[in-house]
Amino acid sequence: MDIVYIVVNIIIFLAFAPLFEGIVRKLTAKVQSRQGPPVIQPYYDLIKLLGKENFIVGNWVFKLAPLMSFAAILSVICFVPLGYTANFLTQYADVITIIYLLTMGGVSILLGALSSRNTFAMMGASREMVTMIMVEPVLAMTFFVGAVKVKSLGIDATIFSVMNTGYSWAVLLMMVLYLMALQAFVGKQPFDIAEAEQEILEGPFIEYSGPNYALFKYSMMLKQMFYASLFVMVFVPFLYTGVYALDIAIQLCEIALVYVVIALVGATNPRLRIDQAVKYYAVLIVLALSAVGLSVYGI
Amino acid sequence: MNSLEKVLKTLQDKFGASITGHASPLPTRLFINIKAEKVREISNEVVALGGRYLVGIGHDNIARDGNIGMIHTFGFDKDNFIVHLNAAVPGSNPVMPSITPDIPGAGWSEREYQDLLGMKFEGHPKPKRLVVADDWPADIFPMRKEVPYNMVPPAAEDVAYQLDECPEGCSIIPVGPFHTALHEPEHFAVYVDGETIKGCDYRGFMTHRGIEKLCESQVSYNEVPFIAERICGICGSVHATAYSQAVEMAGGIPVPKRAEYIRSLLLEIERLHSHLLWLGVAGHLIGFDTVFMQSWRVREQIMWLSERITGNRKTYGMVIVGGVRRDITPEIGEDILKVCAKVEEEVKIIHKSITGDTALHKRTKGVGYLSKEEAVKWSLVGPVARARGIDIDVRRDHPYAAYSELQFNVPVVDTCDVWGTLVVRLLEIYESISLIRQIIAKMPKGEILTELSEEIPPLKHGISVVEAPRGESVHFVITGEENRPDRWRVRAPTYPNLQAIPAMLLNDQFADFPIIVGSIDPCFSCTDRVEVVNITSGRKRVMSKSEIEFISRGNM
Amino acid sequence: MWLTSKIKQVLMVIKPGVVTLNYPFEKRPVPENFRGAPYWDHEKCIGCGGCANHCPARTILVRDICQEIRVMVYDGSRCTYCGRCADVCPENAITMTDRYELATDDRQDLNESMELFMLTCQRCGRCYDMENVNMIDRMDLQGYRYDNIEARAFIRKTTDRFDPEMLKKTAEYKRPSKIGE
Repeated sequence: MDIVYIVVNIIIFLAFAPLFEGIVRKLTAKVQSRQGPPVIQPYYDLIKLLGKENFIVGNWVFKLAPLMSFAAILSVICFVPLGYTANFLTQYADVITIIYLLTMGGVSILLGALSSRNTFAMMGASREMVTMIMVEPVLAMTFFVGAVKVKSLGIDATIFSVMNTGYSWAVLLMMVLYLMALQAFVGKQPFDIAEAEQEILEGPFIEYSGPNYALFKYSMMLKQMFYASLFVMVFVPFLYTGVYALDIAIQLCEIALVYVVIALVGATNPRLRIDQAVKYYAVLIVLALSAVGLSVYGI
Repeated sequence: MNSLEKVLKTLQDKFGASITGHASPLPTRLFINIKAEKVREISNEVVALGGRYLVGIGHDNIARDGNIGMIHTFGFDKDNFIVHLNAAVPGSNPVMPSITPDIPGAGWSEREYQDLLGMKFEGHPKPKRLVVADDWPADIFPMRKEVPYNMVPPAAEDVAYQLDECPEGCSIIPVGPFHTALHEPEHFAVYVDGETIKGCDYRGFMTHRGIEKLCESQVSYNEVPFIAERICGICGSVHATAYSQAVEMAGGIPVPKRAEYIRSLLLEIERLHSHLLWLGVAGHLIGFDTVFMQSWRVREQIMWLSERITGNRKTYGMVIVGGVRRDITPEIGEDILKVCAKVEEEVKIIHKSITGDTALHKRTKGVGYLSKEEAVKWSLVGPVARARGIDIDVRRDHPYAAYSELQFNVPVVDTCDVWGTLVVRLLEIYESISLIRQIIAKMPKGEILTELSEEIPPLKHGISVVEAPRGESVHFVITGEENRPDRWRVRAPTYPNLQAIPAMLLNDQFADFPIIVGSIDPCFSCTDRVEVVNITSGRKRVMSKSEIEFISRGNM
Repeated sequence: MWLTSKIKQVLMVIKPGVVTLNYPFEKRPVPENFRGAPYWDHEKCIGCGGCANHCPARTILVRDICQEIRVMVYDGSRCTYCGRCADVCPENAITMTDRYELATDDRQDLNESMELFMLTCQRCGRCYDMENVNMIDRMDLQGYRYDNIEARAFIRKTTDRFDPEMLKKTAEYKRPSKIGE
């Protein structure tokens, strides 16, 4: 019976991730006085890419990288307790696994970029590496704030820690920090330094085309939706009704609101340079550590 | 304070025998003939007296007196005159001393004539190919009068441009010829160490069209302004005006006052649209698309206005030798004022929303630093120079058209970086709007075109400078027989500014490369003047900037 | 302050709104001085060739094919819509229309060609013919033209200082029709 929860997870994420991306694009366009593409444009993009020719530039690593990235994010989705219902897989992993799987997704981008032997891809890969190193700690701290309170690293325990133990100063601080780091997690302005870097460099995906590129794009979109849903699940648990379908619907609406914030911040910011971004992340990490410290003392 | 007579006297006292003649057709122009061996000393003397290097012009005089002439021009901004130094070398052995070691701004002018006329400049620090393609045979010099304009020789084999040596420990990142940060094809080889730029070499002139050769052999005086307008898709009217003024100066043609006011009006409208375009492009280059979209939305009203006044959004086609083609009626005048009011209001909104934006400040302040001394050494012009505290503006220093009767300020800041250029351009938008209002209020009545009843006398020199939105544009004309110029030289403002790019890029991050190149508002089409390829005999095609952009923007 | 700047940037769009036009269903109105494609009124044209002389793009070609018939061809593929032809026409036979949607896949669609019946010389009743080379064709006559309509070439006489060797080479140049030829 539990398998249903897993299947629902996967289907909801796969189906709605491009839609939310479309919302971001549409909203960005409206802020810029434009009409913008239709909201379902990302679906069309993915379908179009699947029909294009698949150029292989590197070796087997080049072919493996998009599959690895997609697989990583899909596995994370399987564990995630959407709709406040943990499924049977949730007990087999803890938050460290999620962090590792997300890092594996990032590393697969690096592998793909480095195996294409293109100067611009290497520059994009080095920036992606720096971003990853600086941004993972904030994600880890988000989990640890809850983990320290409930004294366990299990996924459902940490994610539902706010629901169970209520808001505290540490949680509020962490919420603000998560919002400030959200742009970096999802790779939008001002932190889209590695990915959508079409002006300055072409980024790590320069040599990819066709279905491989579609897989990378899809994993980016899924990652975006995962981070948005993580925010909703951890920090906004007060609309819990107990009915599974209704919970999912409410969570989807809240995710859409988070996306609106992402779009507005993305439209009104220039892209930062990598050294400026590193300074920004460093401040965030220090504050995140202090949030965990507060949580340890039960504040 | 210098005056024309004083400069002439100082030079004659110092270099007596080397000065073989002089002429002063107007109180603001001094043409001195000198002997070629002393060109370096005389140039240094002129710079020491306060001159600023403008452009070098080589012309083929072999059919008349067997010489190839090289003219170096200097502008005296505080005193409103321009000095030419005409030197001539024999056509069979055109060797001359180079003035580049002392005046770096002359580097490109001399390299250009090495390629195009076969001259040799002794002592030039970097005598590499500049203008012609790498596989062009080395013994055909396109600007010589004997070479037909539609000459396409078979390509040489296996040649490539030798880039400069890469400094220690750096890797090369090729930016170009096609790159999403550039609007036209050109090649910057950037040497980086990690993310820091340690050097740069530039190979451009890929959009060289051969316009000067074309207009010297095929086209007549009144058709050249239309070609001149298409040299650049943003500052077209500037080139047409500068050319017409040069011919009028050379031929002694008087221009009616009303025509001069209308020319100034068109130039200011062009400045408005160009600065708004730049604002958008700068925003786009740092990843801030909202500024791009909004400022281009505001600019669109100016394009519609131009369409109502001149019949076309950008290629106005209004300026010809002797005046302008269409009149500005009072209804059009009111239309212009309404549009200006609206544009001013919207630019204020954009201005207020970006001055306080610290994210924008982070990307533009301190970026592309070039000190004032360096800027003077490279003879920078335009907002790039005014952002570094150099107070030059051709509209005020060498007044042309109606500017001697109009009041305006020249914004100068001294932050020496990209932020400074942004501030200067924004302030110039407000100045332009005020100038347009003055022009419409003060426009005198009268004719708009002088009828030319006799031929323009041949072999007269004329030089005119016009303030394009990017800086100062210099046009030099030698009138010729058969109703066409004998020599026409266009120097766009991007020409000297591009030479200073390697100095601006040094020690900056690679991510700032596009915005630094963008801060000089490069207009490569103005600089290059693209090569024309013939299909059948007699078929010529001049590509406009928008066509080249469309072709080169495959990645956008 | 940073945050207020951001809010202002978002609010900047409220007044103008979305400005995209639903082209081709909604088109911007064309202003009246617009310089679109030129149109010749053949009933007013007297065949003087003034437009051909002043066209910067050498788009208008004139040829006298026999004693009384003059053919004028406007080859729209090179026209820059500058409007000089309309300026100089003594009979106001040329109007710059407001057509700007001229994209086509057949170049011939843009051609306009007029065949005009000309009066002959009042003294001898003939027009000069070019086939027999005589002294007269060396003069640059006002009323006689022989542009190369097939090749769409009109070469104004230049100061012929071109080197004859190089000039011969240019006549042989054939543009490659396929890449890599």
